[in-house]
Amino acid sequence: MATVALRDLVKLYGRHPAVRGIDLEIADREFVVFVGPSGCGKSTTLRMIAGLETISHGELLIDGRVVNDEPSRERGVAMVFQTYALYPHMTVRQNMSFGLKLAGLPKAEIESRVARAVEVLELGPYLDRRPSQLSGGQRQRVAMGRAIVREPRVFLFDEPLSNLDAKLRNQMRIEIKRLQKALNVTTIYVTHDQVEAMTLADRIVVMKDGHIAQVGSPTELYDNPADQFVAGFIGAPAMNFFPGEIERDATGGLRMRTAAFSAPLAEGRFVPLEPGRRITAGLRPDDLVPVGHGMPPRRPLELEGSVVLSEMLGGESLVMVRLGDQEAIARMAQPRPVVTDERLPLMLDTERLHLFDAATGQSLRLGSAAR
Amino acid sequence: MATALDHLDYDAIERRERRRVRGGWGAVTLAALVSLIWLAPFYYLLVSVFKSSAEYGSGNPLALPHGFAPILDNAARVWVDAQLGVALFNSATYGLIGASVAVLVAAMAAFGLTRIDFPRRTGWFMLIFAGTVFPFQMYLIPLFFTYQQIGILNTRFGMILFYCAICVPFPVLVLRNFMGQLNREMDEAARMDGASDWRVFVSIVLPNCKSPMLALFLLQFTWIWNDLLFSTVLGNSPQIRSVMNALQVFQGAYASVGPNISLTGALIASLPTVALFLLLRRHFMAGLGVSA
Repeated sequence: MATVALRDLVKLYGRHPAVRGIDLEIADREFVVFVGPSGCGKSTTLRMIAGLETISHGELLIDGRVVNDEPSRERGVAMVFQTYALYPHMTVRQNMSFGLKLAGLPKAEIESRVARAVEVLELGPYLDRRPSQLSGGQRQRVAMGRAIVREPRVFLFDEPLSNLDAKLRNQMRIEIKRLQKALNVTTIYVTHDQVEAMTLADRIVVMKDGHIAQVGSPTELYDNPADQFVAGFIGAPAMNFFPGEIERDATGGLRMRTAAFSAPLAEGRFVPLEPGRRITAGLRPDDLVPVGHGMPPRRPLELEGSVVLSEMLGGESLVMVRLGDQEAIARMAQPRPVVTDERLPLMLDTERLHLFDAATGQSLRLGSAAR
Repeated sequence: MATALDHLDYDAIERRERRRVRGGWGAVTLAALVSLIWLAPFYYLLVSVFKSSAEYGSGNPLALPHGFAPILDNAARVWVDAQLGVALFNSATYGLIGASVAVLVAAMAAFGLTRIDFPRRTGWFMLIFAGTVFPFQMYLIPLFFTYQQIGILNTRFGMILFYCAICVPFPVLVLRNFMGQLNREMDEAARMDGASDWRVFVSIVLPNCKSPMLALFLLQFTWIWNDLLFSTVLGNSPQIRSVMNALQVFQGAYASVGPNISLTGALIASLPTVALFLLLRRHFMAGLGVSA
């Protein structure tokens, strides 16, 4: 049970900055997920919190106390690693009690803590097995057990599911969520998988190039991305982007014109824009609806696209359509077979259009977390 | 639908595949010939140790012995005259201490080289590794004079010291590669569990290096056991002699006794390394498998 605060945290490798000044307050019992492409600094940040990397600059506070120079064992943190990092020569029981033995806990205490963790994680039958005799999911659970028994103030997860197959990953994701709810411990979780981030997090921290791109709840990030990077990173399939510019139409109102479509700008949704401004329009595949397949939007813009190809997913299909000379993905509910070059009538949800500055990528929506 | 697949005769398929994969008779014959050439000296050794000196002198050296009994006389003779008891004890001491200390020191060095961040790590490694690059004979003369000057020539301590040192570089090379492949997150996990560097080394890294360390121990023990050059130069007094040196001295001093007795001595001298290999065989294969 602890708060964690990062103040202007920097990590340099030689002269190369991997983390470039991160500020973040993590509340007690919060589940925070760091997400971003590889090399964005998310793992490095986690490792600084864990005490596995020195902090080049800035402050790390746990429960309001600066712990920059404390070794990890004194920080009250426990970590689950990507490769599980179990000790191969020890049984499950020994793996889980190793840290407690080092801490000099009495034998009875060690046994009761291990017993409790084993019960939560249903590891009873495997206590005397070695890691090599366990399946991937069981190893993962042992790794979590080893973290639980230490009764840490903060749980750290470093891409814990990336070595599991797709089915097991979904299952373990639910287990992790359930475990965190049951234990009620502040948790920091690193992943490159935005689905994991969306499903697990109370709050997501999107990182890019050593900076925080945006912090917010999954819904905030999905609905109001602060910039084009976050918009493209969060959500699957990714948001469609259409480069274009602002122009004035015959009635004197403002429109956005792209190679794919031209749509009027809704009043009061965007920051003041002048004609001629270069923009990038963004539209999620959910908001490009083939007519007759899904809820028609409230303020639709009707278009016609030609089918390039389609990916059948069962309950829905993703159709790649050509609009003008641009390609975009549309989500088709209750799918029907489509053929290449078929003309497909579409409705575009103008209320859900995003606009980004073509040069900086910043969102031009009013009230977006513009910085 | 599973039954529909089983119209195939898997046994026949397996036999045909094995026949295809296995080499033809030509290859087998060639391999047998090469093995024979390699086994010839062993045959010579085996027939000789069962002959008395008279029998050896009178017949063809490659003829089969008349009986097994003479080996006991041969063994007793070489045991007493070559002082094999002392020599075997000396070699065992040098081999056990030298190889154990060297492999342990090498493991510590490899741990440092792979796990601890200090400047010019590669340079330090190259320096240690240089020990295996140059021919060992190069050290012979300087060592002899230094040993003489500081007074550890012809002492057990001097012999052990030399073997401990000379046997470090090769294990460092092997263990550095092996430890480099051990999962780093494993020792990070141990560190987060509260382990110090030393604790990580002893409780986490060492137990996982058991196989290569035993294989290296065996290799270095055998090298020390078989070393003739350095043991002749650095430890040539009767009480200090290694078994190889003792056999050589025996053959020189008792040139008339005949090869059957020397060969019996050689057979006795090779038994401990063979026994050790059989004992550690499993680890030896596993250790080489990973480091190869």
